[in-house]
Amino acid sequence: MKRLSFLFAALSLSTAAFAGAADDVVVHEPYVRLAPPNAQATGAFMVLRNTGSKDAKLVKADNPASRLTELHTHINDKGVMRMRQVPAIDVPAKGEAVLQPGGLHVMLIDMKAPLSEGQVVPITLTFDDGSSKQVDVKVVKMMSAAMPMKHGQH
Amino acid sequence: MSERLLIIVVAVLASLVIGLGLFWHPDTAPTPVAVSPLPPGGDFTLQSADGPVTLGNSRGKLSLLYFGYTYCPDICPTTLTALTAGMVLLTPEERARLAVFFISVDPQRDTVDHLKTYVEFFDPGIVGVTGNPAEIAELATRYGVFYKAQPAEMAGAAYVVDHSAETFIVGPDTRLLARMAHGTPPDQVAALIRQYLNQP
Ligand SMILES: [Cu+2]
Repeated sequence: MKRLSFLFAALSLSTAAFAGAADDVVVHEPYVRLAPPNAQATGAFMVLRNTGSKDAKLVKADNPASRLTELHTHINDKGVMRMRQVPAIDVPAKGEAVLQPGGLHVMLIDMKAPLSEGQVVPITLTFDDGSSKQVDVKVVKMMSAAMPMKHGQH
Repeated sequence: MSERLLIIVVAVLASLVIGLGLFWHPDTAPTPVAVSPLPPGGDFTLQSADGPVTLGNSRGKLSLLYFGYTYCPDICPTTLTALTAGMVLLTPEERARLAVFFISVDPQRDTVDHLKTYVEFFDPGIVGVTGNPAEIAELATRYGVFYKAQPAEMAGAAYVVDHSAETFIVGPDTRLLARMAHGTPPDQVAALIRQYLNQP
């Protein structure tokens, strides 16, 4: 029941500011990684699915739990992981962008306070057409590298 | 006559089973870890929150070494989570013969106390160690670890550190035995630890 009500809350709270890419892009399985209490940064992961017929671009993310929010990716350069900021994350028409550990992520930098398991972080996603939406994202303690879910190729 | 037929059927079935056993290799074996020759590796003495730690004093334990930094938002937590999940699969006896070290490649920011809080979030048995920049650089070279601080792209943002993301398996004699790639799943982590625990 508790889980169900959380689902309802998540659905009803992911409201679009105004029509556009924010309406077309549906956010699936979002979560923020629970980091050690003294970690200064953590990542938010999710699948952005574009149900529309126009390509969308995520250009900005924001959240109240950290002083900075950036869009990042990881480049695996022969075993050396290089994390870099990206200007945008493409969500092709009828396609998706997968933000997952080791790759694309929304990075929460310079935490105002340590997050706790189960806490909800409202993340605002802004797209290149100026539309935006807020997604309420739960903080999850990851139990293994593949948690909470693993995405195959579509 | 029917008995003979039965024998033939059994023989055919048996050869099929043996054939399958010989030629069918499901992907259950641990992934090969050392593609290129292993770097020299070896001993170190670094500082932890509970005092100096010398790898060679691990009293017959197998050691896992991971080079990372606590500001790391994704790669280090992913590895530490996978290592911890792999350690859970070990028996208490196996676990008792394993030491796990998180070596900071960010000695400027990672204090020993900060490291301790960070690694104990994953498993209280992990030991966070650091040293002066020259010590860390020398050790990283011996393990073939690359790391480099990258200037922040935005004003106010702290720097990030590019770094090698593999985990090293080191024998009780401080000899480097193997490397595990980033993203090695917990069951393979456990299988590899077991393999080297049971190897003379
Ligand atoms: Cu990042």
